Amino acid sequence: MRILEVRNLVKVFGGLRAVDGLDLTIDEGQILGLIGPNGAGKSTAFNCIAGVYPPTAGDVYFYGEKTNSQKPWDLCSKGLARTFQIVKPFASKSLLYNVMVGTFSKTRKRGKAEEKALEVLTSLHLYAKKDMKAANLTIADRKRLEIARALATEPKLLLLDEVMAGLRPTEVDEMVAIIRALRDRGITVFLIEHIMRAIMALSDRIVVIHYGRKISEGTPKEVASDERVIKAYLGEDYGVS
Amino acid sequence: MTRENLEKAFLALVLMVVFGLPLILRSPTYLHILVLLYLYAYLTTSWNLVGGFAGVLPLGHAAFFGIGAYTSTVLYVQYGVSPWFGMLLGGVIASITGIMIGLPTFKMRGAYFALATIAFGEGMRVMVENIDHLGPLNLNGPRGLQIPPLNVGLANLMFINKEPYYYIILVMLIAVLALTYVISRSRLGYYLNAGGEEPEAAMSLGVNVARCKLMAMAMSSFLTALAGSFYAQFSLFIHPKSVISLDLSFEIAFIALIGGRGSIVGPVLGALLLRPVSDFSRIYFGATLPGLHLIIFGTVLILVMIYLPRGLQQPLTRAYQRILNRLAQSPR
Repeated sequence: MRILEVRNLVKVFGGLRAVDGLDLTIDEGQILGLIGPNGAGKSTAFNCIAGVYPPTAGDVYFYGEKTNSQKPWDLCSKGLARTFQIVKPFASKSLLYNVMVGTFSKTRKRGKAEEKALEVLTSLHLYAKKDMKAANLTIADRKRLEIARALATEPKLLLLDEVMAGLRPTEVDEMVAIIRALRDRGITVFLIEHIMRAIMALSDRIVVIHYGRKISEGTPKEVASDERVIKAYLGEDYGVS
Repeated sequence: MTRENLEKAFLALVLMVVFGLPLILRSPTYLHILVLLYLYAYLTTSWNLVGGFAGVLPLGHAAFFGIGAYTSTVLYVQYGVSPWFGMLLGGVIASITGIMIGLPTFKMRGAYFALATIAFGEGMRVMVENIDHLGPLNLNGPRGLQIPPLNVGLANLMFINKEPYYYIILVMLIAVLALTYVISRSRLGYYLNAGGEEPEAAMSLGVNVARCKLMAMAMSSFLTALAGSFYAQFSLFIHPKSVISLDLSFEIAFIALIGGRGSIVGPVLGALLLRPVSDFSRIYFGATLPGLHLIIFGTVLILVMIYLPRGLQQPLTRAYQRILNRLAQSPR
């Protein structure tokens, strides 16, 4: 089943076409990677899909329903969750508190919300730190907390915006394992990432964008050998000839 | 004793003291000061629902206080309606006003929101000062309204002695503290805190931040108006400068900031510290140095902001927890 479909998405900021006619689809249970050089429009595309910005043109369909003008909180209740590239923890609160904000989206009862939050924290190996203040976490744990909070809303589709940026190689491996485990639990994952090793290992398919346009799409192998992709990343001079 | 029992015992002790105080303290002056202390603790706790939990800084709450005071007073003086009913009606009017003010202003951030609410509060005062008659209602402009002290009794919320006022405002304070406690542990409390700290993240987690803030504003302005009606019945004379003044809005914010915004005990601690300063400086320096209390407030605020950014409640709750732990551990 098709969980997300983006048709001819355009987002204009003043004179800048940040996203310029992007098409993409994700099927349930897939992991789709979105890559592109800095400023290619990846995060803007995410924000349009998650309801932060209304698209200038084009349509976004979530489970076949058009969701262009819907707000983030409505999309969240329908099963779409996301993390932020620049992490935004509720810094003065404990990890448990942070995650409970997410679990409250599915229940009004405090006891139930707490129980579910503890489950989520355990599944991300954060249980031992549940009473720590979010402000005191390392960057790796903050990224994990972002995922924990998003998972707490019981999403069907999870948008991950550079959850591995700034991590050490061993931490990247742990994160790759976490994301695989999410997929095994039936969650569809759409991720933006710069760490090629991780995205090549994780993704079923990869979409490459440059200046807001899609320049390539396919399996990790196909994309890696695509001449346009290599040029976009390395510049015209390094074209494979 | 276990920790929970100790906490309960402490709470019971505090309640016994506050309920028993008028039996020992017979002086009307001191009772008057205590009534105002509780009133300010109540007002700041109500303010805290928006100013503390929702993470914005409203500085126009005097307007809601004034709405409460004027609604009950006009209804009672002109139409003989019981102030208890006027109190509730004032609350509803203030609540609707709060939502109307919140709709456009909650989109603003930081100082802009604070400035907009100051403008609203001051606008309200200037309006009332310049209106003698609003349709059939007599507001009496800057001269204010007097409540003739006839028909005293509970039905008219009017008493000869200070004691009944003391107990009424005490019960109101306890009720609003209990409400704050319940809200802070509920979904709304979590959502308000989340929306105040990181609105974008909260929205992505399913929080309709604007709606939560409006709900908090509606409750806060309702509760503030109740206190306005109480104050009118307590002082039996209101005028725009006394019930819709910027000083009142500021004093509430001072108490909250010094006591600790967003905590439950903060407003009470703030009022306990600042109200006596304000009253006694007025008693002893009123003639020579009027306004001295504001200078003291300002100095205390600066010191607190530098050394205790989360207010006086931070070190005090920590000390309280430590004492409880020690008592709970010591073998008996």
